[in-house]
Order: sequence, then structure tokens, then C-alpha cells
Amino acid sequence: MLVHIDGPWSPLLGRLALSEIPYTNPILVGTFIFASLLAVVLVGLVSYLGLWRTLWRDWLTSVDHKKIGIMYILIGLVMLFRGFIDAVMMRTQQALAVGPHSPGYLNSLHGYLTPYHFGQIYTAHGTIMILFAATPLLVGIMNILVPLQIGARDMAYPYLNAVSLWLTAAGAALVMASLFVGNFAHAGWFGIVPVMELPYSPGVGVDYWMWAFQLSSIGTTLGGINLLATIVKMRAPGMTWGRLPIFTWASLSANLISLTTFPVLSVTLALLALDRYVGTHFYTAGLGGNLMLYNDLFWIWGHPEVYFVILPAFGMISEIIPTFSEKPLFGYLGMVLASLGIAGVSWGVWLHHFFTMAAAPAVNAFFSITTMAVGIPTGVKVFNWAFTMFRGRLRFELPMMWAVAALFFLLVGGLTGMMNAFATNDYMVHNSVFVVAHFHMMLLLIVYAIFGGVNYWFPKVFGFRLEQRFGKWFFWLFTAGTATVFIPMFALGFMGMTRRLDYVPFPQWGPFLDAEVVGIAIYVLSAVFLVAQLYVSFRDRAANRAGLDAWETSRSLEWMTHSPVPFYNFAVTPQVHARDERAWRVEHGVDGLRPERYEDIHMPRNTAVPLWLGALSFGLAFGLVWRIWWLVEVCSAAILALIVIRSFDHDTDYTIPAKDVERMERAIRDVPSGRRVSGDLPDGVPALREGL
Amino acid sequence: MSAATTETLDAKRNPMWSSGYGHDAIATKTLGFWLYMLSDAMMFTALFVAYTVLGHTFNAAGGPWATAVAHPGTAFKETVWLFSSVLAYGFAMIALKKGSRSGVMLGIAAALVIALGFLAVDAHEVMTLFRMGATPERSGFLSAFFTLVFYHGLHVVVGIAWMLVMLVQVAAAGLTEKVVYRLLNLRLFWHFQAVMWVFMFTFLYLRGAIV
Amino acid sequence: MTHTTDNAWQHPEVQLAGGGYVVAYVVGLALMGLALWLVRGHVGSPLDLGIAMAAIAAVAAIVQCVLLLHMNISETQIWHTVALVLFIPLFILALGLSSWMFHGLYRRTMMMTVPHAAAAPTQAAKTGG
Repeated sequence: MLVHIDGPWSPLLGRLALSEIPYTNPILVGTFIFASLLAVVLVGLVSYLGLWRTLWRDWLTSVDHKKIGIMYILIGLVMLFRGFIDAVMMRTQQALAVGPHSPGYLNSLHGYLTPYHFGQIYTAHGTIMILFAATPLLVGIMNILVPLQIGARDMAYPYLNAVSLWLTAAGAALVMASLFVGNFAHAGWFGIVPVMELPYSPGVGVDYWMWAFQLSSIGTTLGGINLLATIVKMRAPGMTWGRLPIFTWASLSANLISLTTFPVLSVTLALLALDRYVGTHFYTAGLGGNLMLYNDLFWIWGHPEVYFVILPAFGMISEIIPTFSEKPLFGYLGMVLASLGIAGVSWGVWLHHFFTMAAAPAVNAFFSITTMAVGIPTGVKVFNWAFTMFRGRLRFELPMMWAVAALFFLLVGGLTGMMNAFATNDYMVHNSVFVVAHFHMMLLLIVYAIFGGVNYWFPKVFGFRLEQRFGKWFFWLFTAGTATVFIPMFALGFMGMTRRLDYVPFPQWGPFLDAEVVGIAIYVLSAVFLVAQLYVSFRDRAANRAGLDAWETSRSLEWMTHSPVPFYNFAVTPQVHARDERAWRVEHGVDGLRPERYEDIHMPRNTAVPLWLGALSFGLAFGLVWRIWWLVEVCSAAILALIVIRSFDHDTDYTIPAKDVERMERAIRDVPSGRRVSGDLPDGVPALREGL
Repeated sequence: MSAATTETLDAKRNPMWSSGYGHDAIATKTLGFWLYMLSDAMMFTALFVAYTVLGHTFNAAGGPWATAVAHPGTAFKETVWLFSSVLAYGFAMIALKKGSRSGVMLGIAAALVIALGFLAVDAHEVMTLFRMGATPERSGFLSAFFTLVFYHGLHVVVGIAWMLVMLVQVAAAGLTEKVVYRLLNLRLFWHFQAVMWVFMFTFLYLRGAIV
Repeated sequence: MTHTTDNAWQHPEVQLAGGGYVVAYVVGLALMGLALWLVRGHVGSPLDLGIAMAAIAAVAAIVQCVLLLHMNISETQIWHTVALVLFIPLFILALGLSSWMFHGLYRRTMMMTVPHAAAAPTQAAKTGG
């Protein structure tokens, strides 16, 4: 049954051999040294501070949705950094390798990256940024916020939540492992068939890509189930659908997408795996296979995935803008319907990724129209945000700056998207960097919303605000970098530059590529300010301590508990009375935190099983990549055994007695928010805080 | 907006914190599992898409096509086995309704044995096809055909394993909350794969006999 | 977070079980048998048969969804039903749009006319279904 592969194979190590370690490549050796040093420093730091026990007990084995969310975000940030380095390499390579006389370094004819290495870099960049940066960052934020916004103690399935996290972590680890052991796919993040097939890519790169994708896909499907069930079943009393915070609505829409489309991705990749491992003919160029079947199945997932990442971003913008406009969100119902509408339409647009396939004209016209229809709910959202700001008391604090800037990117990305939606026009720009610039605008909108969201909810999670001066430097430099990279890229797209060029044949494109390098340098500089912002915020955390409601004009339920949020979220489940519960309570002077009496709290116990499942999944995937069959068998058996053994564990929850809750609650001393907790508001004017 | 929904509410007198509030654990678990089953239905859909796209004669690449590999008679035999197993599991659920542990175990054991009968017919059918040279590696059409057959077969295998685990758990722990929601989830799983079988039977096995 | 009940088996979802299972069994087998009989007897053109089979499968699936999976709008089951109803258009979209685009593609790339030794001429003419 198994496909025979030429080349050495041993029962113990499969295809793995010393020659697969790229110790001759100076770039990878440098990366390895850097990564090793970082690991040594981290391990040393944890040991020095004596944090191993805390790390294990409070983080790695935790099922607390907030901690899982933070770990998701950490994975996302690490992978964002990795993907960013890939971007820097692509920009510099393209700027160096212009014209036939451009110099070559490090065994490369032009520039410093060989075509094969360059191929791996753009594949890794796309895969990482979509699946291991944007997705974990957003899933992390949803994980933290949704239970808080609906007044739940945790997710519906805290244990499954941890499993999702560690599956994603295993996928990310697999991508990282491919740096130092073997290589990565070189056929684009969405997999160009038949290049992904075994005869054209006999190495392990595609296998790494495929299994990392698969792990992330399974993790995200399970996460989607969890969030949907949480929103449907775990809402606090009084939290009717009409009162659901808008970010929760956005998460609901996003996870409808993840639940329905990630299974298709799993199948797509599984069929590719069958082609590569047992020699079936799904996507082969011959023997009855069909290359376009891969594109069809992949983009059934791929396009909705774009909306899966953009809807939570819209949700965050919708939370930030009302807070800093000091007005309720304009057009709540329209916003909800628009979110659900985007989720719905996302299911009928996928062919626009391969308009050039030569489907019948009516087919292209259909998908062209559905694609343009996405503009309608998106337009509704833009106008709702604009009307929310209209005649509001706008405060341009950091979250608001990121949110408003995101709107500009939505405009640029959305309008260029409309241009691509014309099938005829798409035949012109297909596979050009114009398309690349377009979707980077959309993805940067998500990044902007994420930075806005992180700045906005950071005090809720950690109890202190992020510093604003360095933060604003970061914002402006990041924005300048974005403009400098992508405006020339749009221009190059119109000039006909195609994607994924490791060598640029036309010298007249050189200046534009040089401008993009300047842009990426500004990005690098901005990252320094991000680190400075984080460092200064941490150093001055006592001064930046935030109260319940860090921004004083926040509106939803998550601002009604302590900052940082205790592990049980709310001492007593709140009764919800209004759409913007926090604003309503402040308005009516009933925003005190002390309930009449405390009750027992039922909580899930921490468990190490999800961590082991993640580790075993990594082992399973690694074994599959290198065709180490004993490892595959051992890990599969262990995973099954662990699931069954866990099902016999009846002691998975515990109860905190009411008096302990009361004791813990009294021990928490909230910082006064700078204004009276109850009583009338001083005429609606927000009290000024020191230092801002 | 918020005022519109709360005008009649006196904030000072209304309770701000709920008391005695809890979630229905069983209903929460079954909803999540049902969502999982629907995502599984989406996986079946994707496989059916592959089967539709690769279902033409030229996808058989000169090898055996649907007319040669799909045997409706055998498939109907499998249908009888499978639906009977589903019915037996249904009897286990009726016993659960009365809280009868032995009834539950008897029903599950019957469902398990009948499911083994299905697997035997299924395996025999697949082996026959393999012997005549119709293997998944032969053509794109056969890849899609066998992947669907095996994916459904995998459900039956998983269901049987799950039934074994549940037999032990019902015997050892009794009808506790955890056991009950797992029995309910297993019901969803087992009855769901029967619904999928309806489509397998119609579009995989019967369609081959039409054209 | 959750509350436990002493008699978990008295949960309303357990109480859904009932005689409907036997009805589902009989109706399901009868419908599948009917489809088999129609196909075996070649009653009607392939297109008519295809439509009839699809209709029978749809009826059988609905019967099973209602009687076996208890899809209804009662308080215990409403979210299960809503979830299924939201999924159904997606099944149709994925299958329908994919077949549509490949139908056009195959025609335009003339793959339908590629001769194959083993494919009988009558089969090649009817591959659209």
C-alpha cells in the first residue's frame, strides 16, 4: 500500500539522517544559534526565578480560558516574529536580485537566497502568518473575552479548550522544527498542485507543511465547537441574544465559519496525504486525478478562513470605537446581521481564487457577483462605525488609533478587493503582486485590530495599562512602514510583477523594490518601539495600575469584574439587564462589585492530559513526516489510550465553598477608577486620569 | 438603544447578581458533540465533492468504473446490518430511559455484535474488489470511491471501540452524569453514521447500477 | 459551573428515546429497498432514476433525522435542529457549486471526449450524471 520512495530509509529513523540537518547553510546555522541562546536564556531565567512549578501548575496544565488565551497569543506573537523575519528576507532578496548584473552571495546566483530556499521562505511566511500568527492571536483574544463578555466562568469545555491550544502549539512547533531538521514546503502557502505531489516534491518539506496545517486545522475546528457551545449554552441570566456584546456576535459568526470550513480543509489535506503516502490519485496529473479538485476543496476552506480572521477583528473595532466615542454602538442590529451575512456569503465566493481556471462564463459571473456582495455587509459595518463616531466625544488613545487606522486599511483593501472581484480584471492581475498587496491590506487591518484589541484589553487581563508614548511611536512607525512597503507593491502589481519572484528580471522595478526595503526597515525600527513599550509598561506597572474599567467609558460585561480577572471570572454570576450592561449599571449607579451573598463555585480541575496529547500529536506528525513508522504507531496508540484513560477519570471538577470565594474577593483590592463607584456621573464628562 | 430595552426596569430594586444559577451539563455536552458531528458531515460532504468531481468515466483511467465496483445487492445487505445495529442501540437508549443498567448493556452489546456483522460484509466486499484489481491506487475514481467507503468504515470501527468503552463504564460506574452524556453522544454518533450511510448507499452503490 | 443531578438518566434528552426507533428502522429499510428495486428493475431513464433515488434518500434522511436524531423544535432539541438547518445549505452549496464549476470546466477543456479503451461508448455519453 505505501508508496515507495527512493533514497535511504532506516526502520529506526525513517528518512531522517544527519545529512538532513542543514548545518552548511549559514543563515540557518545563525538562526539555530539564536534560537538555542534564546532557549538557554529562557530556561535559565525560569530556573533562576524558580518558576518551573508555577509554569507547570498555573500555565502548562491550566484549563483556565484566560490563561489558554494568553498562551495562544504568545504562540501567535512568536510566530508573528518568525513570519516577519521571513518577510524581511523576501524583501531584501527581491531588492538585491534585480537584473542580470545583480551580485550573488552564499551560493546564490542573484541575491543571497537560492530559489529553493526562497520558495520555502514565502511558503513559510504565508502559512505562518495565516495559521500560526493571525489565527492563534484571534482565537486567543476570543478565548479570553467571550466567556467574560457573556458572564460565564469558563468555556463550555475547558479541557477541550486546552487540547485545541496544544494541538495548535504542536503545529507551530512542527513548522519551527522544519527550520533545523529537513526543510519546508516550497510550493506556496496554499499548496500549488501538482508541485505538492510526491513526484515533484519528494522531500519532507510538503509533509511538514501538510501535517502542521492539519494539526492547526483540527485544533481550530475543536476550538470553534467550544466557542459556539459556550455562546449558546453558557450565557449569564438575562444575556439574551439582543444583549450579546458585539464582539461575541462577531466571534459567533467567525466560529460558524471555522466549524463549517475547517473540516473541509482537513479533508483536503488528508486526500493530499493519501496521494503522498499510499499513492491514490486525487490531485495527480494523470490516472484520473484532477488538479483543480485540490484548488476547489482548498478554497472552500480558504476564502471563508479569511472571514474567520477578519470577523473577530471587526468585532474588536466595534468594541473599541464606542468606548472612545463615549456613545453606544450605532446600528447594533445592522452590525449583527452584517457579521452573520459575511459568514453566510463567505460560503459562496471561493472560486474567485481561481477565476483563471476556465470555468464556464456563467460560473465566473456567479462568483464575481457573490464576491462583490461581500461589500454590502462590510459597507454597513463601515457606516455604522462612522455613525458611532459622528458627534461622539472622540478620545484618540492607543486602542482608538489602531482601530481608526484599521478602517483606512479596510477601505484600501476592500476597494482593491472589489477590483479583483471582476473576473475580467482578475485575469489581468491574477498571480501579480497587486493581489498580494490587496490581501496584505486586509490582513494588516486584522493586525491593526489585534494591536488595538491588545492595547484595549491588556489592563483587563494583566491589571495595568500599556504605556502610551512608546506605543504611539510604534503605531506611527508601523503605519509608515506599511505605507512604504505596500504602496510601491500596488504599483508593481499594475506594472505586471508576478508573485514569488526570487529573481527580478526588470531593472526598472528596482527603485520600487528598494522603497519596499526602506518600508521593511521602518517596520524593524517600529518593532524596537514595541519592545520598548512592553518593557516600560511592565517596569511602571504600579503607576499604570487599572481599575475595573480601565478606560472609564467601557460598556460591556467584561469590565464588571476585577482587573486582572480572578480565575473564577465573576464571584457571583451577574444578572444582565441591558445591552451595554456596564454602561447601564454606571448610568443607574449600581456598578458596585459586592453581591448580597456569595455562593459555591464549581470549577474544572487542571490537567496535564491536553499537554501530553499535544506532545504526542507532535510526535505523530513528526513520525509521519519522516516516515518513522514505529513512532507513528507508538504515538497513535498512546493518544488513543490517553483519551480512553481520561474518560475513566471521574474527578475532573471541584467546588470552591462560598466562604472561600468571599475571602478571596475581600483580599482583592481594586484601584479606584478615579471617580465615584456609585451615584450620578458628573454630567457624563470622563474624569481625567493622571498622566494622560 | 439600551434604554429602549430597560425603561421599565428599576435598577435599584432589581437583582444585580443571580443566585442558584447553573448550566445543564448534559445538554451542553450533547450540543457540542452534535456540532462536532455536523463538522464530520462537512467532511463527508467534502469527500462526496471529491467523488462527484472524480466520478466520470475518464477518471477511471481505463480501469474499473462505478458499474463494476458498486454492488447494490451487497450494499443492501450492509444496510440491513447497519440499521439493525442502530435499532439495537435505540433499544439501549429506551432501557436508559427507565434507568435499567442491564438493559443498556444488553442493547449496546447487541448493537456491537451486529456492527461487527456489518464490518465483516464490508471487509469482504472490499477484499473482493481488491482481488479483482480495483484498488485505490488504480485511478482517481477508485481513490474517491474507496476513501468514502473507508471513511464510513472508520466510523463503524470507532463506534465499536466506543461501545466497548461504554460497556465497561456502565458496568463500573453506573448511570452517572458522565456516563449518561457519553451514551447520548454515542447515540448521536451511531445514528448519525446511519444517516450518512443512506447517502453512501444511494450515491455510491445505487448510482453505479444506474449508468 | 455545572450542576449535577443524582438521576442523570432522567434528563429530558434521555427521555426522548422511544418507539420511533422501530418506525425509523422499518421505514428506512423499506425506502432503501424501494430504491434498490427501482434500480434493479431499470424502471425509467437514468435521469428519472437518479432523481427518484435522490428523493428517496432525502426522505430517508429526514425520517432518520426526525426519529433517530430527534430533530425537533422542543426546548431540549432546538439548538441541535438550528445547527443542522444552518448546515444544510452549506452541504448543497459545496456539492452543487463544485459540480457546476467542474461540469463547465470539463466541457470547456474537452476532457469528456477523451477516449478510453475500457469505457463503453454508452457510458461515455452519460457521464454528466
